[in-house]
Amino acid sequence: MKGDNMGTYQGKVEFEGLSQGQKCIDLSIPAIPEYVSVVRLTASVIANRIGFDFEEIEDIKVAVSEACNNVVVHSKKEDNFDIRFISESERIGITVKDNGNGFDLAEYTSPDLKNPSDHGLGIFVIKSLMDRVEVNSSKESGTEIKMYKNLL
Amino acid sequence: MSLSIEKKYREDKDFWDVKITGEVDIYTSDKIRDTLNEMIKEKISEIQIDCKELSYIDSSGLGVFIGILKKLKEEDKNLVVLNARSNILKLLSITGLDKVFVIREN
Repeated sequence: MKGDNMGTYQGKVEFEGLSQGQKCIDLSIPAIPEYVSVVRLTASVIANRIGFDFEEIEDIKVAVSEACNNVVVHSKKEDNFDIRFISESERIGITVKDNGNGFDLAEYTSPDLKNPSDHGLGIFVIKSLMDRVEVNSSKESGTEIKMYKNLL
Repeated sequence: MSLSIEKKYREDKDFWDVKITGEVDIYTSDKIRDTLNEMIKEKISEIQIDCKELSYIDSSGLGVFIGILKKLKEEDKNLVVLNARSNILKLLSITGLDKVFVIREN
């Protein structure tokens, strides 16, 4: 990688504790585009194990990638960021958390079809594809996107 | 992860015949952007993208298509998405982009 500081691990972020019946898989990846596919493939395997069908797995892959794309665009490139997958018998939960500078949630409204833009689609897509989504962003603690999808 | 792009200008019908195979994400979308931009620099014509073998795309790839469409629209040309799989059609419908691009089967 050119000998710079890529992939420096800045210390683990804190996730909430687990409830009974929840299993977790944690990943930490560099905040650069090359590694987003690692998260996508991991999501695919975990969702498959829970029992989601092909189409639902595709939706989960897109949703988690959008959250990672958001981190890659907004956070400091030399940092890693963290992803926690929560596997339950009938639900998948995914939290994507960075130590970046946050972003203005007010910017992320529904897409304007009359004037399509190549920015700001990500959060909207996640909300459309997943059953529950929580986004917290601040300058101090960075951004956390939590998303859940239920097995129907 | 692999991505390949085949392109050919079809002189008889005046359009770019493009086929994308593989995954378009935040990493591979630069390659698509560069290729499409080179094409319209060479000749600004309708672009037809065959998505039959496109297994994955997200907003970073769709953003590239939007950027290219804006340039095409200056010359009143379209971007046509051909043979997209159901997961991709769903994404186009959620984002409203099915009304922005021309969506077709052939």
